[in-house]
Amino acid sequence: MAQLPTHSSAWDMSPPEPVDLSSGKYVKLWQGPQHPGITGNMSLELTLCGDEIVECKTHVGYLHRGFEKFMERRTFIQNFTVVCRIAVPEPTFNEYLYSAAVEELAGIEVPERAQWLRALNLEMMRLASFVMWTGGMSGAFGLYTVPNWTLTYRDYLLDLFEELTGARIYHMYIVPGGVRNPLPDGWKERTLEILKGTEKLLYEVERVMFNNAVFKARSKGLGLITPDMIDPYGIVGPNARACGFARDLRKDEPYLVYDQLDFEVITGTASDAYERAWVRQQEMHQCIDLIRQMLERTPDSGPFQARMPNVLHWKIPPGETYLKAECTRGEYGYYLVTDGSEYLRRVHVRGPSYTHAIAVMERLAVGTNIADIAGLMVSLHTYPPEIER
Amino acid sequence: MKLKDLISPFFVWQRAFEKPYTVSMRPIEERPGAPAYRGFHINLSEDCVGCGSCYTICQNHAIDMVEVEGLEAKSGDSGLRPRFDYGRCCWCGLCVDICTAGSLRMSNEYAWFTTDADEFRFVAGVENKSWDGRTGGYHRHPDYHLFPPKRVEMDMLGPEESVESFTEVVKGYSEEQARLEADRCVECGICVATCPAHMDVPDYIRSIRDGDYEKGLKLMYRTNPFPATCGRICTRRCEEVCPVGILGEPVAIRWLKRFIVDQVPAQEYQRILNDQPGSSGRRVAVIGAGPGGMSAAYYLRRKGHAVTVFEAEDKAGGMLRYGVPSYRLPDAALDKNLEYIRSLGVETKFNTRVGRDIQLAELLDGYDAVFISTGLWVPSSMRIQGEDHPRVMAGLRVLDEVANGRDPGIGKSVAVIGGGNAAMDAARVSRRLGAEVTILYRRRIEDMPADPEEIHEAQAEGVRIVIQAIPVEVTDAEQPGRVAIKWGEAEMVPDPKGGRPRPVLQEDRMHLDSFDTIISAIGQGSDLDFISKQDQEQLEVKWGKFIAGDYQATRMQKLFVGGDVANRTADAISAIEDGHHAARGIDRFLTGSAGSGTP
Amino acid sequence: MNSMLERLAKEFRITDVVERRPGLTTIKVDKDLAETLIRELRDREGYTHLNFMTAIDRIEDGLFTLVYMLHNYADKSSLSVHVDIEREDAEMTSIHTLWAQAWTYQRELRELWGIRFPGSPRQDEDFCLEGWEDIPPMRREFDTVEFCERTFVSRDGRHSEDPRDHMHEVMFPNRGGDN
Repeated sequence: MAQLPTHSSAWDMSPPEPVDLSSGKYVKLWQGPQHPGITGNMSLELTLCGDEIVECKTHVGYLHRGFEKFMERRTFIQNFTVVCRIAVPEPTFNEYLYSAAVEELAGIEVPERAQWLRALNLEMMRLASFVMWTGGMSGAFGLYTVPNWTLTYRDYLLDLFEELTGARIYHMYIVPGGVRNPLPDGWKERTLEILKGTEKLLYEVERVMFNNAVFKARSKGLGLITPDMIDPYGIVGPNARACGFARDLRKDEPYLVYDQLDFEVITGTASDAYERAWVRQQEMHQCIDLIRQMLERTPDSGPFQARMPNVLHWKIPPGETYLKAECTRGEYGYYLVTDGSEYLRRVHVRGPSYTHAIAVMERLAVGTNIADIAGLMVSLHTYPPEIER
Repeated sequence: MKLKDLISPFFVWQRAFEKPYTVSMRPIEERPGAPAYRGFHINLSEDCVGCGSCYTICQNHAIDMVEVEGLEAKSGDSGLRPRFDYGRCCWCGLCVDICTAGSLRMSNEYAWFTTDADEFRFVAGVENKSWDGRTGGYHRHPDYHLFPPKRVEMDMLGPEESVESFTEVVKGYSEEQARLEADRCVECGICVATCPAHMDVPDYIRSIRDGDYEKGLKLMYRTNPFPATCGRICTRRCEEVCPVGILGEPVAIRWLKRFIVDQVPAQEYQRILNDQPGSSGRRVAVIGAGPGGMSAAYYLRRKGHAVTVFEAEDKAGGMLRYGVPSYRLPDAALDKNLEYIRSLGVETKFNTRVGRDIQLAELLDGYDAVFISTGLWVPSSMRIQGEDHPRVMAGLRVLDEVANGRDPGIGKSVAVIGGGNAAMDAARVSRRLGAEVTILYRRRIEDMPADPEEIHEAQAEGVRIVIQAIPVEVTDAEQPGRVAIKWGEAEMVPDPKGGRPRPVLQEDRMHLDSFDTIISAIGQGSDLDFISKQDQEQLEVKWGKFIAGDYQATRMQKLFVGGDVANRTADAISAIEDGHHAARGIDRFLTGSAGSGTP
Repeated sequence: MNSMLERLAKEFRITDVVERRPGLTTIKVDKDLAETLIRELRDREGYTHLNFMTAIDRIEDGLFTLVYMLHNYADKSSLSVHVDIEREDAEMTSIHTLWAQAWTYQRELRELWGIRFPGSPRQDEDFCLEGWEDIPPMRREFDTVEFCERTFVSRDGRHSEDPRDHMHEVMFPNRGGDN
């Protein structure tokens, strides 16, 4: 692998040498928007010199649905059904953050049982998302067995979601005021069963993926994020934790019931693709453990919804808030501004992939081998829908 | 490179002999949606009332409210049903969550294959679909509400306190209570059709949410010049059809109306309502200054016609003043409404009885139109032996005496015969006069025509109700100055035709009880002596009541009728609407069919 | 937080300080001092993390309010820095040298609101709209419904009755407040 070229500043976007496309030395290659090595729809415009990438320009917009504008034209209750679609592979954080932001500005307090159910839903979503990612990571290096396994287990988790919330992916379960229904009968037991199976799966994945010469050779040293890049690039989540930064919103600024749960922040020593994958692997175990803790401690009775005003004509006093949660990729945030009417004034969704998939990607891609670019992209765990919303 | 890393990946082979995870999906029915899956819609058309809340809440305008063949709009049901456009639906289930009637839910069906895309727009519950009978699918959890199902409780005097005086029992909402209650309205407007006067209910309820009570007042006067009165004693048919009341408690429309009216002082009415009657040069005579007559007077003045009201009593108000006790309707509230109407220049001649002090023929001659709204003031006879006993008093007379500030002299122990509101009024007034009261009613409590709240409050105030009691004879009591009533227990016999069960007197179970006074309140009839028999025939009078035509007209061109004496519903709001409608009719008659243009 | 703001308030003419909740405060600063203030907050006060940068369209006041959300990992506090700029020919000092992702946000703001950041790299490159010819769509005067009706073809046959009006028509056409 080539040495990382030096830049005059950590974020100088210009390539290290001028690229003369007519010289015959370079090839331009578009990876995406439909590509197994892209975790969504996004394209990388790669300029190659031989095997090595000398420039990477990202192009987003294939998933621009105009949510932020759309939401200005929907009432507060209507928006809750829409937000899950913003980050397609991991929708639940949108529901939670939107509902929590609305509740904060409206002065509604959510009952305890609902807090537990919400946290349970979020942790399961994290697990499902990580499980899918693991498949993607392995598949990006051509190791296609693991994705078959992990997507199966994700499917079992989706079955559990279907039972609990009424839908597999767009749950629309966390609503302003609380949640829509409590746990169905027998759901706890079924979940514990699936978790047992998932845990076994993780050990198998560890065996065949992490103790794998090919995987190690390709991912170690790939896409190294150095500590001095973290804050200038706004890198969050496992990408930063793998670097040694013990930053986890569930610990640093606890929300829901995380301050009552027992867990440690997982860090690594150097954030290359392998280490990032290893941090995520451990976080999956952590998810399972947290879910087990929550299943034991979630109250069985009590209200799961606060007293709501009539949502058909619900006005919220003017205000502004920014709420964050720790999704699988790091800090996911909702910035909400209200103006006293029945509609929100402005909502901005802060997805971690906004920086990971563009600024960070363009920087790390330079000097990477074309064969590894898919692996690099997936190792950053980027979800394009949350970039352009 | 470690040896372990070369060998470890071969562990994938351990799965070689496992069963595959994937399942064959033929037929697709083998994999039903989860029990709470949000699938295709099911709407029980018999339960749906077409309120349109699903239409309002749908975030993607995927629902239309459409007419359905075979379904007519009727009281409590708009006749429209939701049609779903699956090209736009996202199956969020908000429509199910907001459904006031609980008729809409989702099945757990998720597969629908067709070559005709237009099929994906369908009226659930009307167009038959294969999933209609499914029990699985998303229902709203009963503890999950998108609007408050419970009403804000009204503060009232407790029965021990209320029975001590004629102070108004209902205290009224505070501003915060009113706002909270007004919030519960889903603005469907189904109540508007049922209200006899078709008041703009959702609009004035919204004015409470907006804090704009002047606007609320203006809205109310479009259809009702007695808002302070109706806000206290209306029969509130609107609340009976309020869809929020299907699974929860209906919106307290009457109390909200009262709240608005109580916020605006009488002196502001002129400025806010800005009624500036013109002068058409036409003159209308109104007989009876009750709600019917005064409502007609108000709307006729708005339309620019001169009005003279002839009233036999010495004050206006009719049954509202002389029949409804002041603990339900204080004089001040009634006067507030009457004063405003008269301030528009309505000429009133009190102590003038048509038929005695002036003849109908004179009015028909001297005025361009005449509106009769004389009400029902003749107490009905019990039709039992001895009912002309001196200690038997009509309920109406007791109420009339009290309204005039006189003591009716009922004594300490009273029996009230009857089960309507007048009987309850008489009973509760008697309690306030210090008497022990027993009601004898021939049927069961649920058959009593009185307002259930009145029955309940009467009982709380210590009125004893004896059901299935048929009075048979009135006689002298043993003690002088008292009266005895012989009554028999009744068996309820089911009606072979499916109607109400009938009470049948059991001759072997008779009772004889003595009281100081027996109050008879079993019904009221009209006094139409001021109209000749011949005229009555021409006008179409049946059983003492007029049959009114379109716009309250009669077969005599200049003569219009309304109120208790001309309708079947016999409540204040119907009389008010009759007066308004007669005003419309008279206006059209006087100015040509289009009318003056002022509603 | 308060003492820091007190210290900076005078020098940077900070106004409208509102504590939204413990750990989140909004402040307002003039356009000409904003970039310097943000740099100061990053370099000397520990606000090393840029959560995001966005704009609120205050069309009724003729302004855009730019919002810079900054976070201090050490004391876990967030500052929402508001900067008002004119809506017409909207322009603001670029902060692309302060954070590596800032140029992406500035690119988005140019495309969706029409706010220019002179010097910001690849400013005119499409971000999420390709071949867009209308006004920047996040501006409040852009009417999405009108755009859809103009651009796309709807399937015929949608029509809805209002329950109240329908009942009026069928059950009491010549009564009610309008008659």
